[in-house]
Order: sequence, then structure tokens, then C-alpha cells
Amino acid sequence: MRLFEELLESPQNALVEQASRDGRIPIGYSCSFVPEALLMADRLFPVRLRAPGVAGTEIADNYMSALTCSYTRSLLEFAVDNRYDLIRGWVFVPSCAHTQRLVDNLEYLTKPAFSHVIDVPRKVNDVTTAWLADELEILAQRLSDHFEVDMGTASLEEAIDCWNTFSGVVLSLGALRKRPRPPLTGADFHRVVMACLASPTDLILPAVLSLYRRIEHEEGTADCRARLMLVGAHLHDPAFLAAIESQGALVVADRFCTGSIPGLLPVEPDGDPIRRLAAHTFRKTLCPRMMEDFDRRLKTILDTVEEFRVDGVVIEIIKFCDLWGVDAMPLVAALRKNGVPVLKLEREYAAGGEGQLRTRVQAFIESLGR
Amino acid sequence: MRDAVKNMVGNVTYLLANLRETGRRLWHNSLAEYLLHAHTSKDLAVYMKYWVLNYTTIVGFLVECAITLGPARFVRTLIRSPWILTLLKVNALSRRFLKGRTGRYNEAICMTMHTIVAGTVWLLREMFFDPERLVVNEDLVPPDIAHAMGLRCYLLEAMGIVLPMLDPEICLEYIDEAENEGINPDSCSLPKATIGMVLKGHLPGGKAVVSSNLPCDAGAASYTYFQRAFGVPIYRLDVPYHFHTERAVDLFVEDVKGMIAFLEEHTPGRMDWDRFRQMCENRNRMLELERELWDMLRVRPSPLASEAVWMSHLWHFNVTPEFRGSTEHFERLVTLARKNLEENLPATVNERYRAVCWNPPFLHFPDIFNWAERTYGLTILNDSMSYNHLEPIDTATPESMLRGWSRIVMHGPMVRHTRGPAENYLDDIFRMVRQFDLDMVWVANHVGCKSGQAMNGILREKCREKGIPLLILDYDLSDPRIVSHDNMMRQVEHFMDNVMKAPRLDG
Repeated sequence: MRLFEELLESPQNALVEQASRDGRIPIGYSCSFVPEALLMADRLFPVRLRAPGVAGTEIADNYMSALTCSYTRSLLEFAVDNRYDLIRGWVFVPSCAHTQRLVDNLEYLTKPAFSHVIDVPRKVNDVTTAWLADELEILAQRLSDHFEVDMGTASLEEAIDCWNTFSGVVLSLGALRKRPRPPLTGADFHRVVMACLASPTDLILPAVLSLYRRIEHEEGTADCRARLMLVGAHLHDPAFLAAIESQGALVVADRFCTGSIPGLLPVEPDGDPIRRLAAHTFRKTLCPRMMEDFDRRLKTILDTVEEFRVDGVVIEIIKFCDLWGVDAMPLVAALRKNGVPVLKLEREYAAGGEGQLRTRVQAFIESLGR
Repeated sequence: MRDAVKNMVGNVTYLLANLRETGRRLWHNSLAEYLLHAHTSKDLAVYMKYWVLNYTTIVGFLVECAITLGPARFVRTLIRSPWILTLLKVNALSRRFLKGRTGRYNEAICMTMHTIVAGTVWLLREMFFDPERLVVNEDLVPPDIAHAMGLRCYLLEAMGIVLPMLDPEICLEYIDEAENEGINPDSCSLPKATIGMVLKGHLPGGKAVVSSNLPCDAGAASYTYFQRAFGVPIYRLDVPYHFHTERAVDLFVEDVKGMIAFLEEHTPGRMDWDRFRQMCENRNRMLELERELWDMLRVRPSPLASEAVWMSHLWHFNVTPEFRGSTEHFERLVTLARKNLEENLPATVNERYRAVCWNPPFLHFPDIFNWAERTYGLTILNDSMSYNHLEPIDTATPESMLRGWSRIVMHGPMVRHTRGPAENYLDDIFRMVRQFDLDMVWVANHVGCKSGQAMNGILREKCREKGIPLLILDYDLSDPRIVSHDNMMRQVEHFMDNVMKAPRLDG
């Protein structure tokens, strides 16, 4: 686990450095609506943008105001601070107002050589899937022209295969948490997922496989007071989960942007790779920006509650996130109506306020009768 | 009991202690004070004419309501929608707008207010008289198509916009209701107020809802709640991010066709293309007149300004574009502006500075423009909600009409500016500065508008580069508790004193 921890200590870890030295091209992205498999073609590899250990966002506050999402501000702060110097290209999605303005400010302040916004529609049907496929085609063409990489069908098929192998291993690891006594904690699993998202997949995969083989027949040692599921948007720091678990709970399911449900689904087989990636993008995301998706979001949570034997759901929302902030109102009501206990927490991107968090979680676990 | 007595004593003491201030405020906003201070007898006569017309229209509606709905349903409607009576405060708002204004400027504002009253009453008829044909639209989905289909339609957020202008504190109970129900307190107060109104059952639900991904995350996300609260089917239009391309128009037109099919499936409405053509032609005529008006506003000093311009657009283009009085209103505005121009009469003789208000105007303090005009000779010529560079709709075929109408939605108020790329936002501001020969830019810095907040840094630097003074005026759209009226005036004073070095007209 130490390896995964180390890989999360900086925004560009040792594996990213190693791949860059080998002539490969890291592409930064910030949103789950970016199909990672597309950015795995040829010499490209995707790096989830993070701001570990961000201490303050003074410059970003000046441009984006302190009344916006601290994740986007943290990314801008790190970008202005040249903490993403290895990143050769940026791929964004206009997923929310904050991200849209992050792009504006980042382009204004740092003038990146390659920056692209994928226009992902906010509802899913045949027409919008075709639109998204066109958008991915445009991105592939731009990547090919700018970085002189092969974005042809064979190259994309190979990238999709890599993604599917990788997601299969991580999902198998995640499935171990369905057991009554999971062999790894929620914080540990999240360390693995985040390290994977922040590294070239092929370089980190052996470590994940080795971990899986080591623990697949193990059983967790202690009983937990409650099995919890986390729901929300970006959550990078495993310390948040560790704080929750310090109260005797175990986080067994992660339905947030940087979690595995449903973010690490494999790409469906057969057909044109771009079209499959477009459909995959819609399948692997569950964001309130999608206007007609509330029922699917709710069903996924309820199914996961059953599958992972979850006792309670914790909805974590980054302060100033309107999408989750507004959506949480009907979501909390709907979950409670279905008999699922819910705790709603507001937090900042960087881990903090641990004392308050522990108190809230402790009270929640007690309210579950545990 | 002891607490109740204690509270009562406290309240009485407070009232007595503030008697002088309360009396002064009441007098300041009273009809008697206005009558005493009206500039000319003609101004007075114009105001009184519209005073009578406004009250007659509202009382007439209430009578019509009692007859149409029957006494029992009428009383029930008033109990369910108590905010209706707030409309009676419209003449007090007119007086706040009219302070210090005279001649055709005075008349234009009176007229604007009256057309809004007439339009509101028309909207209330839509809301309450035929629930079987009622469709609820989000505020950035114009009602034209629903009306062309013979349906009744109202914009869900319309009352959240109108009511705080009449009574600055009316939305507070709705905002609190929504926050107590779990909405994030830092989201925009307009969706919060609207959610609160729906939670309290103060707005009717209709047979179907049409919304969109506009104007902001909170606004779009709130429709998940509305759909569940009303329990009716919903159609959601999706304007692409890169909305300037023909490819995007193609996608959106298909979406609009889907909306028509949805309404035909879920309501008794059927698309009438001739009726839609008539509406498009009305829009084209309004657009032509507005362009003519804006051309005249370029003259310094301007022949008309402020509420006559921005409120006219806000209401007539967005809320009641097909209302028969809308085109006539713009015709009359153009006539008044032209007469002033021909006679070399400015809207205000003291026009010293010209400004644009960027972002939504101050709903609970719309008369701050009047105050700035009287205090510093600062004229607000336009706002970002009105500013557009739309093309007329080609009415040749149904397809061409849908394309033209779709472009209107895609370039609508807050659509161009509340999303990236930044050029949408910045280019329009600097274009306005050139077009209206402005001396400064005011940004209405609504704390709930994340998209606007996150543009302030770039805008500040760009304005500095171009030498354009910029006032970023903090406020909350519908909640005066966040930034008080006094605080807002202080921000303007600090800016005018320190940046503009402007002497006060009032000494």
C-alpha cells in the first residue's frame, strides 16, 4: 500500500515522470466524462488532475473568487504555480460552471499549447451519442495533428483493450468489498484507484495485480460498526475516507466521480471504437449535470446498497457545487423514502475539519443503531 | 406566555424608537410625497393616468378571477398564491422609478410599468384559468411554441423575478423554505425562491414542464425537484456548449422538434405553424424596433434610458413576446425617444456618466439606478440580459422558423454569458462599451452566480488594459439580507468618489 500512497503525494508522480522520460505524452483531464481509453492511444496516457497537499488558493481566488468550487481553484493554483509542468495537453468537459470557468482562467493565465473542451451533451439518446462520437473524433484528430500520434482504429482498439484489462482488475479488487469482512478498507481501495487514475495504466497495473493476488483469499480482521457507501463528486484524498473509517465504519462502495462505481466500467465490445467510447462515456458517469439521469443515479445507489450490503449512505458535496448541492435535496428525500439512512456532508477539496467530520460520522453511525 | 409578552414589549419599544425613521420612509415612498415633488403638472397627469390604469387592470383581473373561477375557487387561489396581492404594490415601485424623472422619460417608464402589469395579468390568466392546457416553462425557454400550439404557458421563475422588485423581502420566506428543505444555501437565490414557492404550493404545476440546461447549474438542477414535486412529464432542452456552429444549431433544432412532439403527446396542444409564423414576425418587428431604439441611445446625452430600456426587453422579449401589447410598446418607446432626439431633449439633463449593468439587474433594489442617476448623473443605458445581436427569424418555412427561434434560445439572456468560452462574456461587454459610448462598466456581482464570479479576475485585468473603469458591485439577486441596500449604495459611492472622482449632484 505504501507504493500507492507515494504515488499520490505529488500531482505528477514517479510513474508519470518515468513515462515522460520514455517519450510518452501525459494528457491532463479533470472530469469523468473524459473517456480515459481515448487518451491511452499510442504514446498518450491520461493523468487525472489533482492538487495533493494544496495549502491555499490565493491566486486562483483572485481570478475565480473564493465562492467557487475549491477543486477547480486548486487546479488553477497548481497550474499557475507550474506544478503540472510535465502535462503536455489538457482535455476538459464543460461539466459545470466551475469547470467551464477553470478552462477560461487556465487558458488566460497559462496559455497551454494544447487545450480541448469536449462538448458532452446533458442527455443521452441516439442523437446525442452520435454528437459525442463526433466530438471524440474531433479530439482524436486534434491529438493526432498536434502530437503526431496514431489515433487510428487499430490504435484505439488496443487502447480500449488496455483500459478493459485495467478496469477488470480494479473492479475485481473492488468486488472484494462485497464480502462480510473485506480484506481492504475503503481508504486503501481509494488509494489504489486514485493512484491508478494518476499514473500510466500499464505501469501501475502490475502493482494492482500483485495486491489483488495477495489479498483475494484474505479476510478482514475486525468487524465494523457500519458499512457505508460514499456518494458525490470529486473526492481525491483517501484521508477523508480514513477519517470516516476511524469511527469504526467501513466504506465499502464508492459512487463518486473518482470512485469505481460506475467510473471504471469496461468499454463494450464490437463496433466502431469512437462510437463505443461515446456510449461508454455516458455509461460510466452518474453526474447531476445529466438532466434526465436522476432515476438511474438513484437506482445505481439503491442497487449498490443491496449488492454491497450498505447500512448507510454518506453524500459528500464540495462547497459551492450547485449540481450536487441542488440535486442532493430530492436525492436525500428519495433515498430516505426507500429506507436508506443518509448523511449529507459539505466539505472542501483539501482534507480538513477532521474533528467535525468524525463527530458527524459518529453521530450518524449511532443513529443507525450501531 | 412570559416570552410572548417580553417579545411584544420589545417589538413595541422597537417601533417607538424607530417611529421617526419609519415615518420618514413611509412618507418618502408615499403617493402624497410624489404628488408634492412631481416636476410638472404633465408629469403628474401622466403618472396619475397610469396609476389608475394599473390598479384598474389588477382589480379588473381579481374581479374576472372571482367570476371565472367562482367565489370558492377564487378564495382558494388567493390563499394558495398569496403573492398575487403583492402586485398591488406596483404603483409604489413606479414612484421609486420616477423620482427626479420628467417629460418623455417619465412617460416611457410609466408606460413600461403598465405594459408589465398588463402582461403579468395576462400571465396570471394563463396560470389559473385553464389548468388542462397549462404548460410550465423554465425562464429561458420562451413560451412562443407552447402558445403556437394553443396551450397556456407561464415561466416558472417569472414571479421570483417580479415579486422582489415590488417587495424586496417577499422572497425571503421562500428562500428559507428551500434551504430548510436541504438545498445548498450558496446556490442562486432565484431557483431557491422558486423551489420555496413550489414547496409551499404557491405555484400551479400544469400538465407538462419544459426546461433546459440553462442558465446555470442550480437552475438546471432544480428541475429534477420540480418534476418530482409536480409529478408531470418533463422535456429538457440541451443547448450545446459550442453553440455558435451550424452543427450545434442542427442538434438543437432536432431537440426543439422533440419538444414539440413531447407536448403533442402529453397535452391537448397541436402545432399551428401559421400562428407560430405570426409570433416570429412579432418578434422580428420588436427586434427591429429595439435596434432603432438602441441606435438612438448611442447619442450623448441619451434620449431614453434605464428601466424603459432594460425592463422593456426583460419582460417583452422573454416573458410575453407574443403578447399583443409588446410590439406596440416598443413602437411607442421608439416614438418617444425619437421625439426627444428631434427636440434635443435628453432623458436626464444631468447625464454625466454612461454605464452598462452586466449580469442580472438588482431585483430587490432596481431603483438603485434611479438613485445613481440623481446622485451622480449616472445613466444606465443597457444590461446584459437585454443585450443581444440576434438576427430576424426567417419565416419562409417551418424549418427556417425553428432554426431562427432556436438561435434565439441559444443566444438568449445569460446563455451567451454564463458559460464558456470567456470570449462570449468579454467580447459583448467591450462591444457594448463601444456601441453605447460608455464611461464605465458595472458588474452586478451576484454571490450565487459562480460563472460570473469566476470571470471577475480576467474582466478586471482586461478593463484595466483598455482603461475602462469597472465597478464590481456585490449583491444577492433576490435576498437583501446578504448585501443590504445601504451597503450597495456605499459600494457605488466609494467607486464614484475614489475611482471616478465624481462630484455628487445632491451636494
